[in-house]
Amino acid sequence: MISKVDLAHLAQISKIDLSEEEIEKFPMQLERTIEYIDVLEELSSDDSIDLDLQEIKFDQLRDDLIKNADGERISKNLTEDGYLKGPKMK
Amino acid sequence: MSNLYDLLASEVVDGIKEGLFTTEEYVCSVIKRIEDVESKLHSFISLDSEGAVSSAKLIDRKLREKEKIGPLCGIIVGIKDNISTKNIKTTCASKMLEDYIPPYDATVVRHMKENGAIIMGKLNLDEFGMGSTTEYSRYGPTHNPWNLDYVPGGSSGGCGAAVASGECTVSLGSDTGGSIRCPASFCSVVGLKPTYGKVSRYGLISYANSLEQIGPICRSVKDIVMIMNVISGKDMNDNTTIPSSSITINGKTKKLNVAILKELIDSCDGSVKKTIYSTAEKFKEIGCEYSEISIKNLNYALPSYYTLASAEASSNLSRYDNIRYGFDLPIDDYKWEQYFSTVRKNFGEEVKRRILIGSYVLSSGYYSKYYLKARRLRSLLRLELLTLFKQYDLFIGPTMPILPFKFGEKIDDPIKMYLVDINTVIANLASIPAVSLPVGFSNGLPIGLQMMAAPFEEQKLIDASYALENTINIRRRPNLT
Amino acid sequence: MSLVMIGLEIHAQVTALKSKLFCSCRGNYRDFKPNTNICATCSGLPGTLPVINRKAIEYSAMISIALGCKVPNKVMFYRKNYFYPDLPKNFQITQYNVYGFSSIGVEGIFELDDLKKIRISRIQLEEDPGRIAYVDSGMNVTNSALIDYNRAGVALIEIVTEPEFTNPKEVRLFLNKLSLTLQHLGVCDTLLEGSVRCDANVSLKGGNKVEIKNINSFKEVEKAINYEITRQSSMYNRNIKVEFETRHWDDRKKITFKARSKEEEHDYRYFPEPDIPVIVLGDGFVSNIKDLMPELPLQRFNRFVSKYKLSEHTSNILINDKKLADFFESILKIHFSPVEIANFLITDFKSLIEDDVENIDYLTNMKVKPEHIGELVKMIEENKISRITAKDILIKIFDSGKLPSEIANSTNSFKISDEKILIDAVESVFNTEKSAVEDAQTNHEAINFLLGKVMKFTKGRADPKIAMRLINTRLNKAGT
Repeated sequence: MISKVDLAHLAQISKIDLSEEEIEKFPMQLERTIEYIDVLEELSSDDSIDLDLQEIKFDQLRDDLIKNADGERISKNLTEDGYLKGPKMK
Repeated sequence: MSNLYDLLASEVVDGIKEGLFTTEEYVCSVIKRIEDVESKLHSFISLDSEGAVSSAKLIDRKLREKEKIGPLCGIIVGIKDNISTKNIKTTCASKMLEDYIPPYDATVVRHMKENGAIIMGKLNLDEFGMGSTTEYSRYGPTHNPWNLDYVPGGSSGGCGAAVASGECTVSLGSDTGGSIRCPASFCSVVGLKPTYGKVSRYGLISYANSLEQIGPICRSVKDIVMIMNVISGKDMNDNTTIPSSSITINGKTKKLNVAILKELIDSCDGSVKKTIYSTAEKFKEIGCEYSEISIKNLNYALPSYYTLASAEASSNLSRYDNIRYGFDLPIDDYKWEQYFSTVRKNFGEEVKRRILIGSYVLSSGYYSKYYLKARRLRSLLRLELLTLFKQYDLFIGPTMPILPFKFGEKIDDPIKMYLVDINTVIANLASIPAVSLPVGFSNGLPIGLQMMAAPFEEQKLIDASYALENTINIRRRPNLT
Repeated sequence: MSLVMIGLEIHAQVTALKSKLFCSCRGNYRDFKPNTNICATCSGLPGTLPVINRKAIEYSAMISIALGCKVPNKVMFYRKNYFYPDLPKNFQITQYNVYGFSSIGVEGIFELDDLKKIRISRIQLEEDPGRIAYVDSGMNVTNSALIDYNRAGVALIEIVTEPEFTNPKEVRLFLNKLSLTLQHLGVCDTLLEGSVRCDANVSLKGGNKVEIKNINSFKEVEKAINYEITRQSSMYNRNIKVEFETRHWDDRKKITFKARSKEEEHDYRYFPEPDIPVIVLGDGFVSNIKDLMPELPLQRFNRFVSKYKLSEHTSNILINDKKLADFFESILKIHFSPVEIANFLITDFKSLIEDDVENIDYLTNMKVKPEHIGELVKMIEENKISRITAKDILIKIFDSGKLPSEIANSTNSFKISDEKILIDAVESVFNTEKSAVEDAQTNHEAINFLLGKVMKFTKGRADPKIAMRLINTRLNKAGT
């Protein structure tokens, strides 16, 4: 069961402030979703099942070359000396 | 007598090249159409009519000067607003990107432009592609052109509505769990989700990277082929792309072995079931056999899909902290953690739910219970399907288990909403290609047939779709006056 | 005595790469104005995808092999999810070994000396975050942070050891040997500012492990560990329990301090990076990399001893300074006289550098080239100049970059072996040092005194052997 405490933890690690309304509504909705995906538990937890991930060969990887990406730069929130202004750390 | 805006992509290209009309005349006809119907449909988030007209003029001038224009000469494309377009706002229908103007073109957009296509604007979607109705768009829903009280499907709802109603020649959507095929079905147009890796995702704003592909939504199978041959191929900017051969329109169809997926047809609405069965009979007319088969791992497909998609989404959407792009919220006086949390409450509710679920299934202690099992199911399902593909060329069934529904019907119940994706997520989980083809109507609402093929067997989907399209011949215009 | 257990986590930038790990911006971000060495990918713009640098895999495999690790046949990347303003995507692409091995190196063994080996648990390749500049604004608390993404996406290797060090000296020895190995591989320049960082975990008597983060140079590691051992010992002595915690190293105050508790609550939610397929290295990969690998310090040491017949002592001095050893070998290409050149380098040459140890990159920037030392040593061997003169000439080369022969000519520094000139010199010494000449008839020691005077008279240029013979001849003549 998803409690309000669990929800607060999830919201904290996801960095999302929840509204009063969401704090009331979400536990039930998330709980239903989790109940729904809980059927996965019936599946075997056999480690030998290959996860069948996509593969790429080493020699197909990119060469170590420099390419200037002019015009792909950020422009929002820059200070005069080029730093990006972020919220304070302490 | 049809209007210029009604023409198919192939007809537009031929018409312009033969001098029947100029690119500008065609573009103006489409702009006029948008002016007439857009207030009813709300397909677009941003429109660039001026840009489209000047691109058209440029193409006309080049044609007069006998310069070569690519195979998409003069066609008008609408781009789902989660695909990056240089200098055109790309919002993902989210507050988080309301002012974001990408400094680069997605690979598919670059290919479209280089081959003569004209960008008309950006099309509506559920926020970040999460939804099946466009009701989760921050800019309000798109309406179904066949009945304005009904949803157009989603998440590429703007793509489906715009193409069906003649607001653009073709559109590019993205499909993570059915987001191309669902609106194609609900709006009675053709939509293809390619094999994973066939089309570059560079520039597609990620929802669930391992599941999604960009693909075309068009008014004909021939148009789908034209677009696919331009957008597919290996891209050095996307390590997950794989080189593949081009596809063609063959007059003749080889005999295909077709299987109806029992689970999918059994669980759908009566009217949908009836149409799908009568379509299955048409396969005999085009010389194909069909039988009914059952798939073992299907029960777990949707739970597995929502686990994986939410997990990836929770991570993909972390970058929206409003520092480099976003909306106006001064940073002053916030401590960074506070600022991030304050900013991020501006995601829509559905997005927030999926981020929270994603964080949940990945958090320590739950990873092997959910994520790993979902991943294994994905692998088992793919294996089962690949084995069956040795025997069958195509799996068919209804794209959507139900007819288009009214606004608000499912919006308050996430699970009800998720369940409409049950038929489409299979192809994303198995990384195989799938198409939705319009095959009929019930009470004036469209029904789509879904066909799936083995990896990189898009040609089989096209062969069958083209043959059926000619046999069924339901091309109708929605009445929007 | 308390039983100490120390483990290390070392981060080193793969500085030999031209481009970043996942995009084509410059790997060498230093000397750029803030946020000018960035592109859509490394600044985390929506829709961008990581495109992995093949050389980064190659170099990190080299490091893994050099540290005795196994390199798996397939490597994978994972996402480590956490929010921080220096992290453009708010997740880091890294590697992870919990669900099977997939990082570039695992289960390594590194020999500290004949008695002690340290096990390496894993080596992983990952992206460096950007940087936050903290601006001191005096009394006012700053209301914003300044972020620079130039460094974001630079390839970083993380080396994690088992907690098998039992004292800070072993740690120092390990870090020295590691630096040397990395230098020899030529992939990580550990001397570049900000190129290495280290975390250490320290526990006493099987007590709780304390993690020390933010140690920004290898030099500081020993200090931080010493501080932590002292702190924990005195807690034991006062019967205070050491908590399992994360502390930071303050390299100005030279103390560790407790991190705010929130930072410890990380749940990184690792999962396989969907945008990077599993990389299949292929069967011949490891042997191919081994073929490409430069010589490692131990191999080089053995070669110096066997091929060049250098003493172990001399070989060690050279190899512990990789650039000096390289310099030595390039001199050999010009003049092959290993023992002489090695001795000249570690005595005369090094004595001139020693004062200036801060200048770590002296060999790259100095005017002395292999040609100079080659010619100089050859001149000593051919008896054209004396050893003392050679050092004077070397000083002049440092200043001017001129060839030794040129300097010797212009300063009249060649040895005098012309007997006529030397007979005159001996004659004039015999005239001024009469009592010494007399002593010399009976006391052999006094002959050396006379030789010294002749050397002084000729400003050190007289060929001492000839001068000695002439002194003896002159003495015999005087005696008769």
